[in-house]
Amino acid sequence: MRKILLPTLLSLSMILAAAPAQAGELDAFAGKTGKIDIAGGTAHIPVMKEAAKRIMQMSPGLRITVAGGGSGVGVQKVGEGLVDIGNTGRALSEAEVSKYGLKSYAFAIDGVAAVVHPKNPVNALTHQQVQDIFAGKITNWKALGGRDETIHLYTRDEASGTREVFWEIMLKKGQIAAGANVVASNGAMKSALAGDMDGIGYVSIGHIDQTIKAPALDGVAPTQDNAKSGKYPVLRKLYMNTKGEPVGIVSDFIRYIQGPDGAAITASDGYIPTK
Amino acid sequence: MPGARQNSGNSGTGRGARSGDRLVTALLFGASAMSVLCVVGILGFLAWFCLPLLADPSGGQLASFLSWQWRPTSGQFGILPMAVGSLLLGSSALLLAWPLGLGLTLFAHGLGPAWTSRPLMALVRLMTSVPTVVYGLASVFLLIPLVRSGLSSSGFSWLAAALTLALLVLPTIVLVLDGQLRLVTPGLRLTTAAIGLTRAQELVHLALPMCGRGLKTAAILGFGRAVGDTLLPLMLSGNAAQVPGGPLDSLRTLTAHIALVVATDSQSAAYTSLFACGALLFGMSLAVNLGLRRLGSSNGASSRMPGGCPGRTRELATALLAQILGWTSACVVPAGVCALLGYLLWRGLPTLGAALFFGDTPPFDAILRDAPVFDGLWPACLGTLYLVLVASALAIPLGVASGIHLAEFATGRAGRLLSSCVDLLAGVPSILMGLFGFALILLLRRTLWPQANTCLLLSALCLALLVLPYLISATRTCLEALPQELRLTAASLGLTRWQTVSRVLLPAASRGVLGGVILAVGRAAEDTAVIMLTGVVVGAGTPGALTDKFEALPFTIYFLAAEHQTPQELDLAFGAALTLLCLTAALFAIARSLRNSLSNGKARRWGAGTSVHQGTAA
Repeated sequence: MRKILLPTLLSLSMILAAAPAQAGELDAFAGKTGKIDIAGGTAHIPVMKEAAKRIMQMSPGLRITVAGGGSGVGVQKVGEGLVDIGNTGRALSEAEVSKYGLKSYAFAIDGVAAVVHPKNPVNALTHQQVQDIFAGKITNWKALGGRDETIHLYTRDEASGTREVFWEIMLKKGQIAAGANVVASNGAMKSALAGDMDGIGYVSIGHIDQTIKAPALDGVAPTQDNAKSGKYPVLRKLYMNTKGEPVGIVSDFIRYIQGPDGAAITASDGYIPTK
Repeated sequence: MPGARQNSGNSGTGRGARSGDRLVTALLFGASAMSVLCVVGILGFLAWFCLPLLADPSGGQLASFLSWQWRPTSGQFGILPMAVGSLLLGSSALLLAWPLGLGLTLFAHGLGPAWTSRPLMALVRLMTSVPTVVYGLASVFLLIPLVRSGLSSSGFSWLAAALTLALLVLPTIVLVLDGQLRLVTPGLRLTTAAIGLTRAQELVHLALPMCGRGLKTAAILGFGRAVGDTLLPLMLSGNAAQVPGGPLDSLRTLTAHIALVVATDSQSAAYTSLFACGALLFGMSLAVNLGLRRLGSSNGASSRMPGGCPGRTRELATALLAQILGWTSACVVPAGVCALLGYLLWRGLPTLGAALFFGDTPPFDAILRDAPVFDGLWPACLGTLYLVLVASALAIPLGVASGIHLAEFATGRAGRLLSSCVDLLAGVPSILMGLFGFALILLLRRTLWPQANTCLLLSALCLALLVLPYLISATRTCLEALPQELRLTAASLGLTRWQTVSRVLLPAASRGVLGGVILAVGRAAEDTAVIMLTGVVVGAGTPGALTDKFEALPFTIYFLAAEHQTPQELDLAFGAALTLLCLTAALFAIARSLRNSLSNGKARRWGAGTSVHQGTAA
């Protein structure tokens, strides 16, 4: 009896303890109406969608839409006023800030890693090798200790913040081969590589799960912990951006994402909350 | 029909009827004028955005766009690789589809066993109703892995896109050829039977040479359809901004390029270059249009009987070639379509159920109390429904009225102007319509209406413009196909022109017009490229207002095909594809049965047996 009772009591008390805290944060939205349109960075999407779901279940009068497109889209759409929050997976350039009057709110730290199919025997790469692969200098997996198969390159379009970070830090602004397939988001990159035994691409570390594999870079495993400690070098912050100071429900939403609830969602999606 | 236009109702009709007539004529004229304005508006808009390029005195920007490197990060905005990509993909799809289409048509018209004719043509008609995005989804998960494992490539390639695109344009080609053969063969039947030719000989040696114009029309229409498509290249061709070195390489078309790059800084060179892409695309469809027009004017050439007597060996070779082509396409095409659709059914059928549409939410709550639905298709279904309703409300009255005006009232220069505007509009690829909508909103925000935003209304408006030409030409064709005697009889009874139209002609053509309307609705329901640029999102919930962003079935399929994070999400995509396919197939079936009953009814009433309008679905 005690065996059942104790865990039950424990979990009950945990639920009771957790419930008010959660309700407390969502309380900011109770009874409010209006809409928030979000677009841009695709690494952000899982966090945004989960938060939107929780908020809309709490107060059905609110409508929150989440679209992707990439960081460039986030800047453009929020700058033009087409959405309320434009997400970017990179810091804004000074030109972008001054041109549109944007305010940035970071909520997570995230690494970007080169990824392959889980069945690919290659488990470690050097920085130089990654650069050569993406430049099209190494074209066969055999040269890297893999199968004798052509390497299929996957990259992102120019609106991608993930691409920008990967290109600047990992590739040192080197060339990406023109023949690389272009996909439109972190999610699309993941599902493309999950289906291609000989593919290589790059995603936000938060997107890595059992369907894809990230080989170690210069002996360092690309994990969020290593990114946080600075051992893994290719990292960035995830930002929400607004045009001018956010007001009303938009500022409530940003506070929610940056708060404890948002941090929990962020962590459960594989990112490191900034707080 | 010009002959009927002299009667003006001044023989004993009342004054009221005549002033009513004038009012209606004015209204119809207004509708036509609106249609012309829409076309002029869209074209003017594109031209206006392209103007800075041409006005630039040094020509530097234009020259930088007309180059071979697309590397925005280092300031290179060359769009030529994409132009070449569009041309390569369009022509290769045509090279595949045209012979197959020809073979299939010949097979169905007598090269093959008679019993195959009906099911083959039914299959082709089913193919016209398959949404582009559904082909895309099935190909991503069936064809791409095949190419990948069989040919040592990533699978996303020129080849994969060309194969699927060929299936997409094939029905256009078959329906045009079928229409031509149906016109030609009845006149030959008795002659050839008298000489003792077989059906196959008649087809290959007599009927086919008389269809020269049909063969060319089919090729041009097919090319236009292939070049204008956005979704298949976007989903299948890999989208690398390069000129491909071979069929297994990745390529990017102009349409896919616009879809990928549109959301970029609207004062940047990349944004301006999109309008150069748009102008190139429009140029291609204009060329297609002019090609069709030239064919139309060289009317007489096709009706001449083939002269001379080919040598015995050549004759045999031609017959053999036709047989091979016929049998090949009769095997390959149904196999390809059945594989793709069968795969779709296999993946989609098990997902059907309440959970597919409503996720965890109880269906009753979702339908009656508007409870939010997550992980279900309900919001996307509603979004598509609203979208189609609003687009129809905008397009149908305008389209039908313009069609009536064009068929019965418009004369001379005004009529020609309107009909060439309709042709131009019909040639505008849907991604351009989306680009127009997007640029329009940006412009409105900066000028008249700072709150304007991409939304359901904008998408519906752009879709309405997209289907407007279908509506106009369907209505027009139906009315013009009515026997001239009807107009003459009505006139001799003293009816005014509007009375003739409203009491005699429209009731007689109503089913055909309705069929056209339903086809247009189907087209609006399946289009993805337009809404992608004008306000569709994933996860908007059920649409609340016309100014909200919204979800829609075709976009959900496109999004999940690339972005599914779990097997459940992929199931959702196949479920959505099956739902959309059922919807469009049902709409096409209704339109088809309406038209069938129309031509049967007419055959009974007027003894005219020819089918009214082949190929309008194309």
